[in-house]
Amino acid sequence: MDLMKTKILLDEEEIPRRWYNIMADLPSPLDPPLHPQTGKPVVPDDLSAIFPMDLIRQEMSPERFIDIPEDVRDVLRLWRPSPLYRANRLEKFLKTPARIYYKYEGVSPPGSHKPNTAVAQAYYNMKEGKERIATETGAGQWGSALAFATQIFDLECTVYMVRSSYAQKPYRKSMMQVWGAECIPSPSTKTRSGRAVLEKDPETTGSLGIAISEAVEDAASHPNTNYSLGSVLNHVCIHQSITGLESREQMAQVDDYPDIVIGCVGGGSNFAGISFPFAGDKLTGKHPDVEIIGAEPASCPTLTRGLYTYDFGDVAGLTPLLKMFTLGHDFVPPSIHAGGLRYHGDSPIVSRLVHDGVIRAVSYHQSEVFDAGQIFARTEGIIIAPETSHAVRAAIDEAIKCRQTGEAKSILFNCSGHGHFDMSAYDAFYAGQLVDYEYPEQLIRDSLSRLPKIGQ
Amino acid sequence: MKRIGFLVNPVAGMGGTVGLKGTDGLYDEAVKRGANPGSWRRALATMSRIHDCGFHFVTCSGPMGEDILVKAGIPGYDVVYRAPARSFSSDTRAACQGFLEAGVEMILFCGGDGTARDLFDVVLGKIPILGIPAGVKMYSSVFAVSPGAAADVMKSLSPACGVSPKRIPIRETEVVDVDEEAYRHGELKTRLYGFAKSPYLPGLVQSTKQVFEERDEERAKEAISRFLAEVVRGTPEILYILGPGTTTGSIAQQCGIKKTLLGFDAMKECRLVGTDLNEKDMLGLLDREEKVRLVVSIIGAQGSVLGRGTQQVSPAVLKRIGVDNIIIIATPHKLQETPVLFFDTGDPDLDGSFGDFVSVISGYRVAQRKPVARNRT
Repeated sequence: MDLMKTKILLDEEEIPRRWYNIMADLPSPLDPPLHPQTGKPVVPDDLSAIFPMDLIRQEMSPERFIDIPEDVRDVLRLWRPSPLYRANRLEKFLKTPARIYYKYEGVSPPGSHKPNTAVAQAYYNMKEGKERIATETGAGQWGSALAFATQIFDLECTVYMVRSSYAQKPYRKSMMQVWGAECIPSPSTKTRSGRAVLEKDPETTGSLGIAISEAVEDAASHPNTNYSLGSVLNHVCIHQSITGLESREQMAQVDDYPDIVIGCVGGGSNFAGISFPFAGDKLTGKHPDVEIIGAEPASCPTLTRGLYTYDFGDVAGLTPLLKMFTLGHDFVPPSIHAGGLRYHGDSPIVSRLVHDGVIRAVSYHQSEVFDAGQIFARTEGIIIAPETSHAVRAAIDEAIKCRQTGEAKSILFNCSGHGHFDMSAYDAFYAGQLVDYEYPEQLIRDSLSRLPKIGQ
Repeated sequence: MKRIGFLVNPVAGMGGTVGLKGTDGLYDEAVKRGANPGSWRRALATMSRIHDCGFHFVTCSGPMGEDILVKAGIPGYDVVYRAPARSFSSDTRAACQGFLEAGVEMILFCGGDGTARDLFDVVLGKIPILGIPAGVKMYSSVFAVSPGAAADVMKSLSPACGVSPKRIPIRETEVVDVDEEAYRHGELKTRLYGFAKSPYLPGLVQSTKQVFEERDEERAKEAISRFLAEVVRGTPEILYILGPGTTTGSIAQQCGIKKTLLGFDAMKECRLVGTDLNEKDMLGLLDREEKVRLVVSIIGAQGSVLGRGTQQVSPAVLKRIGVDNIIIIATPHKLQETPVLFFDTGDPDLDGSFGDFVSVISGYRVAQRKPVARNRT
């Protein structure tokens, strides 16, 4: 094992040629998405109003591997393969015997893992002859990634950006503009769903669930427009698998394999990307002991406190009902700085794996997350996004456990994006103004006990 | 500092346990309702922890000082004021005059806002004063957060007790008083009485209460009360005791009930069960009800959750309710201005059982984690 190596790199030609689809390795099929009106399992035609057929096929595919179109690989060359770093300085700072690796996705043009699927989705929409894509964005990572991808394939793009993030991160909006997209704060008066929310609460901070409703409505009501989702769905997890596939190759270069794989979880896409190839190894018995950890905010603890049940993916109830961990589709998470993790639900596959005990989840308060981000910046040099800091927090905690037990475990985490547009959040951290939000689970359950159940 | 004036208001806090929201001018009524003097216990809790700190105390006779010093085993004190069997505010002022003439460098007193105001009348800003909290209302910032915290502040002033005696900043701080008559009629009117000098250690000495009136406050209160009204409706088997304040008031309002502003009222299934409850009433309800939850709001900036104006909820009541059944609420703005919360129920073990952090409901289905001041009592 080369202990001194800092960057473990792959050649451009080593960009994977196939995505990995973990659905092929699940012990039993996923519970199907249900039609929001009929309650029956959705069929491809139900989705064709807003998604291209290639993506619908991927969404339902039982195939273990799916070819990456050459046109998509060609765009991915702009930043892929992304580097895998050995966090030598962080290890030294923590005085841990653990070997810590991080896959750095902040090298992409928009600065995160999001273009891994944005490029693929824009490509398939272009191929089907669509002219415009509508989407939502939380922290702005997804919106800027799709803006970047759509302009490559000459598509128009409309982004509904969660209002609290729109105010917190104005430069994300500027990036979308540079790449030719229109960015609208959500809830907006442009859609029926947005107007309904504003009528109830004109001062709302918005949420991903609300923004999804607006984007879906926009796509469904314009024939030339499709909808695109940056997380949660199976095809997104498939596209993101490229990070885990590359990481596995890169770790093999230094003759290592992770004992622990970590990612932050909002809708689950970057987490799925880093972890699914390893979760597949676990499910198929190749590496049954690999531990996989999803780190989420204590204020929006979907996997740690949510219910595993059918729920809508959006506030207005326009999306199919998905079997997932959920805090309730009408839950508006508090306005934390890790805006990309403010989602009431989670990827059905991630949820299923947590439910089955293949993956475990942890949750953190804002201040401990920023503390980890600061440690990372002061050791490894990269100022990371607040979302990513959740993964770093979990990695640091695991490395400290190794220090206590003396175990030299190998820890891999997805360093999903830089935090260059999150400096106001860091300012708040240094001013002692970060609020440690929590989810009052018992009281919420009490408050819901007399409400009708959905999807059951 | 070595030469310290020490004064106890023996009747401070008596009105609180019997629901009188103050003792000024109501001593006879408080006694009639069964209240007993309790401030001496809180004074003793402080003094017994600093008995060997090398201070030389100057005090009053009997329950206004000397009795406590004897109980705490403090040797070598001077009595400069002979207190009558039943003391009044004029005795406090006269004693302080005696302290000044005896050359004290600071006065440690035990009482409430009324006692602080009497001290201030005489001392003004000449020397620092520090309060051991024992009144019904303590909105002035001359008070330590608890008797134990008062002992810690005193210890840090003493070369004999402080591990390394600190230079404690002496700050100018507000003495306020509440209009008791208006208070009893459900209106909170505080007024600035003057600026005293007081030693300040963050987390140990309280800040002045602030009343927030921003528009956002109303929105936030609405969100909190909407959530908790849903909780109340969703748990018809639970009795809810709502503490004083406008935020708790808006929960009752969401349930279609009018709540007293400053009292503890009980409701079940959004039906009013009792208003302006005193300790005895609450214990009676606890005998009858299977499960009871207490909803209290914090005092803005100062950070008190229990122990300031909430003496009806005695340690006996709180233990029966159970720490896990206490729901703390506060608007985000109030929480932003309140770095640390504290509990001063009169039972140090109970105060400690709240842990280092508590969860405070701050919006619709949202809570914030807030640190709790280390329990020193």
